[in-house]
Order: sequence, then C-alpha cells, then structure tokens
Amino acid sequence: MTFRTALLLMAGFAAFPAPAAAQQPAAVVIAIPPLTTPDEKATGPDSPRAVAWQASQLIASDLRTTAELVPVGPDQKDYYSYPEVTAPTFSRWRAKGAKFVLTGFVRSRPDGRLTVGCYVYDADKGRELGRTGFVVAPEEWRRAAHKCSGIAYTAATGAPGIFDTRIAYVAESGPANERVKRIAVMDGDGNNQSFVTAGDTIVLTPRLSAKAENLAYVSYVGGQPNIRIINLASNEQRPLVPGSAMNFAPRFSPDGRRIAFSMQAGANADIYVADSGGGAAQRLTAAPGVDTDPSFSPDGARIAFESDRSGTQQIYTMDADGSGQRRISFGGGWYAAPVWSPDGEWIAFTRRIPGAGSRIGIMKADGSGEKLLTDGALDEGPSWAASSHEIIFQRAGPDGRPALYRVTLAGGDARKVVTPQDASDPDWSGVLD
Amino acid sequence: MRRAILLLVLVSTTASAQLPGLRRRDPGPPRPPTVAAPILLGIDGLRAEFVAQSGSDKVYFGGDSSVLTPQARATLAAQAQWLRRHPELVVRIEGHADGSDTRDHALAIAARRAEEVRDYLVLLGVPAAQLSTVSWGKERIAVMGTSPDALALNRRAVTVLVR
Repeated sequence: MTFRTALLLMAGFAAFPAPAAAQQPAAVVIAIPPLTTPDEKATGPDSPRAVAWQASQLIASDLRTTAELVPVGPDQKDYYSYPEVTAPTFSRWRAKGAKFVLTGFVRSRPDGRLTVGCYVYDADKGRELGRTGFVVAPEEWRRAAHKCSGIAYTAATGAPGIFDTRIAYVAESGPANERVKRIAVMDGDGNNQSFVTAGDTIVLTPRLSAKAENLAYVSYVGGQPNIRIINLASNEQRPLVPGSAMNFAPRFSPDGRRIAFSMQAGANADIYVADSGGGAAQRLTAAPGVDTDPSFSPDGARIAFESDRSGTQQIYTMDADGSGQRRISFGGGWYAAPVWSPDGEWIAFTRRIPGAGSRIGIMKADGSGEKLLTDGALDEGPSWAASSHEIIFQRAGPDGRPALYRVTLAGGDARKVVTPQDASDPDWSGVLD
Repeated sequence: MRRAILLLVLVSTTASAQLPGLRRRDPGPPRPPTVAAPILLGIDGLRAEFVAQSGSDKVYFGGDSSVLTPQARATLAAQAQWLRRHPELVVRIEGHADGSDTRDHALAIAARRAEEVRDYLVLLGVPAAQLSTVSWGKERIAVMGTSPDALALNRRAVTVLVR
C-alpha cells in the first residue's frame, strides 16, 4: 500500500462507512530516517554508509507492503548522528505525524563483517518498543534489514514480522497441457529466487518447515505421486515413506518433527502422520472417501483436514491422534485445503461455489465467523504469513495461467506477487532464526 | 509427427463418441488404418487397433464423481474384450480431474477414477497383473477452458498401452 492509497482509503472510510471498510484499522505512520553510521570515510557498494542507505530503503519498502503501517522516508535530509540512534528527537517526528520512529546504525567490524542495529520507539511517549542487532556479512545485509522491519511491525501490531521469511512455490512454464513444473524458493519480498528441482518431472505442493530448513513436496519421479523431503541447506533428499502407494498433501507440524499427509489405498485416501526424519506412518482417518490436506494447529495438538465423506468436500478438525473428528464447515458448496493460522485464531480455506468458481476464505477453528477474502474466478491454495494477518494464494487468470497473490484479513484487493515465471502452490514459512 | 496427428484424431473421435451433447463440426475423422498393414505390428499399431475396436481408450465421469456411467461401462466392456486377447501387453490406467477441482482433491479423485476403471476391467476378465494405475490429478489438462464441456472432457480415465 502506498502512502497515497492509504490516504485515499482513509478518506473513503470517512465518506462511505461500508462494512468491509469499517473493519479496516487506519494505518499509522512510522518514520524511517536513514540508518546512520559512525564510519564516515569509507565509500563503495559494501561500505557501511551504502549498506545503511539501502537497508533503510528496504525497511521502508517492507513496511509499505503491510496494511497496518505507512512508512515515511528514508530521506537524505533526515540523517542523524550516531549517538542520536538511541536518543532520537521525538518532537521532530511527532510534528510529521509519525506514531513510531525507527532508528539504527551500520558499523564495520575488523573482520570485514557489519554490525546492524535497529531501535523502534513510540514517538508520542518517547519510549523504546524494541531493538534488534546482528553481525552479518556485507552481502547479507538484506536479512538484517528484514529483521529491523520485523521489530517495527511487531512493535506496531503485536504480530511477528513477515519479512525475514521464505516462500516456496511451483514455477511453471511451457504449454498448458505439458507444463514444466519446478519447485522454487524465494525470500518473502521476492528476492533471492532459486530452483530446488530440475523440471524433468512433475512436482506439486512444496511445504516448508516453520524455519524453512526442510521442504516437503510431491514428485512423480517414481511414476506415482510421492512425497519427498529435501534439506534446503545440504540438498539431500529422500522419500517420506517407503513403498509405491500414492501419497501427497504433506504438511509439517509446527515443530518440524512430524509430517501429516494423505496416502491412497485403492479408491480411498486417508490421513497419516509420520516422523519427518523417517519411520512408519500412523493412520489417523479411516472414513471411506477422500481425506486430504491436513494442517496442524500451531500447538501441534490438532489437525484440520478436508474430507468428502459427507458427499462433498468439507472441513473437519480432529485431535492429532485422529480422535474427535468433527465437521466445521456448513456454508454450502465445497470447502477445501484448510490451513491453520500461526496464531491459532483462524482456518483459511478454498471454497468452491457452484457456478462462481473458487475463493479464499477464513473461519474460526469452531467453524464460526466465516468470511470470504477474495473474488477471483479460480483462487486456491491459501498459506498464512507469519503475522496471521495476511494470506498468500494462487489465482488462475482467464487464460488458465496461475500467479501468486497476497490478501490481508483487514480487507482490500488482493495484490499480485511478482515471480519470474507463472507460479502456483505457494507456501509461506515462519520467521527465520 | 504421425503420433501427434493420430492423437488428434483419437481426441476428436472419443469426444464425440462419449459426449452425445457435443456437436461434431467436421464430417468425422478417417478410421485409423487396419491391423493388416505390417507397419502396425508395433505398439503404435496395437494402440490404433485398440482404439478402433474398443470405440475409445477413454471414459468420462460426472463432476466430483468416480461412478462409471452406462456409456463408460460399454466402452470398458469393449476394451476388456480386446485386452483379454493381448495378455502380453503392459497397461496403465491414467486418471484425470478437471481444472476446477482443488489440487489435492483432484489427485485423489483422479486416482479413484483410475481404480474404478481398473476394477471394472478386472471384473470383466482382464488379468489384474497386467494393469497399473496412476493419478495425474489436474496436471494433464486435455481441453483448456472452464466451460462445462471443457471440464467434462478433462474428467477422464485413459487406458494406455505402455508396451
């Protein structure tokens, strides 16, 4: 959201108090004066001064993507001295309408690395709300900047920042009936794209562990859809379970130790759970029909899933041992692909509405409070941002080509996520360590 | 290239054979060549003969359904008759879903469609050992678009002669 659209939104809010707009909290202003540096002399692309300026721009750009904050700056005029990092002139930022101010510094170290520090203040009360600091290699400054954005977002909203995260998806190319599909991973801001698979076999549904260390996905490499687990640091990979029975729809438990998934035996797909490090799978559902798309609650104690045991796809919840299975969706049409929000409040889903396509929506874990967030013709595959305030999903255009979009719970239109190729099956990690 | 043309012919034949509601716009494709030609002794020839004598290598399903329609059963009966004469062939039943289904449900229902076809062929005397199944979910869309006709043509199970 740009500053201008935020103003327009606020103006619209006053003039037309529509129900959707009424729920949208007014975005607050955060001042982002440029990070400073005590090393005035050095210049060049990796110098503390250059990194400080780029990091300031990235922080502002990160915060601009949120519904809650409107960043102002960085502006070269607003440079401050190194001691002022921890003693900002609050009156100056109050006068500019800022409720928050972020300061920080970049300092070179004898070992060639950089120290990056950030502080967030309440400009009204003149009180520090958070701070963070890192030692990074010069080329890793982006992650430090994302961490700074994260403490600003957390200070303003109480929710985890979504900036130092990874997004896995399926990159698609080629003609529609013969798509080349590759697992791709990128930073939360679209930077740092890399391919995980080669594109010689169909791959589906990449799912990251919470800290994006491991990735589970479905591959046709053995002739049948089978789940594989890959360690993103070492690139080592292996099948999740032995045997050739079709298995699919993997999802890590929040602690990364277990994976819930579907396995097909004959005409019947059931939900299983297996140790992500290997071992026997334990069967959790036994209903005839298709039970799939399991998703753990953030405490790992429950699982939401989709089943067509009633005749149509609906959302159910159960305890993580398979007991207490209970249907929670009753709104008509089909409900698919439930995903539990990181804060435990919501379950996102894809709702297929006869004659109207499919949309992304949310409901409470008991099925109450349902609302639809998108209005595309073919939206599917929601995945939560770490903040639980935003969802990434896949939208197919009129030509059938898929792209990734983001939508906030606060309302407003979905925004396209730029990827180098067509993209489907997004999965957004938690905040990295 | 010859394979591509043959495939096109098969698609249009089966489309009109399976979906009487669909209007045929051309006078109809020529019949594939008969088994007599020596060039047809290979797997391509067997495939052509299989399609010619079974009526189709595909059966179609209703939305969200893996139930075999009477028409599908008739096609499979003809397929079974031909397959029983060729126990030497390796056969794979490939299940598909339409693009309006969600990713994972599409995988499951397409697998179920393939299983239904396999079970029916076995019931009609085709040796089970000869038959395998695979689900393509919605990964191999045959007909683009979101019209009801396009979706119907994608909800299919194809009997593929592997070798």
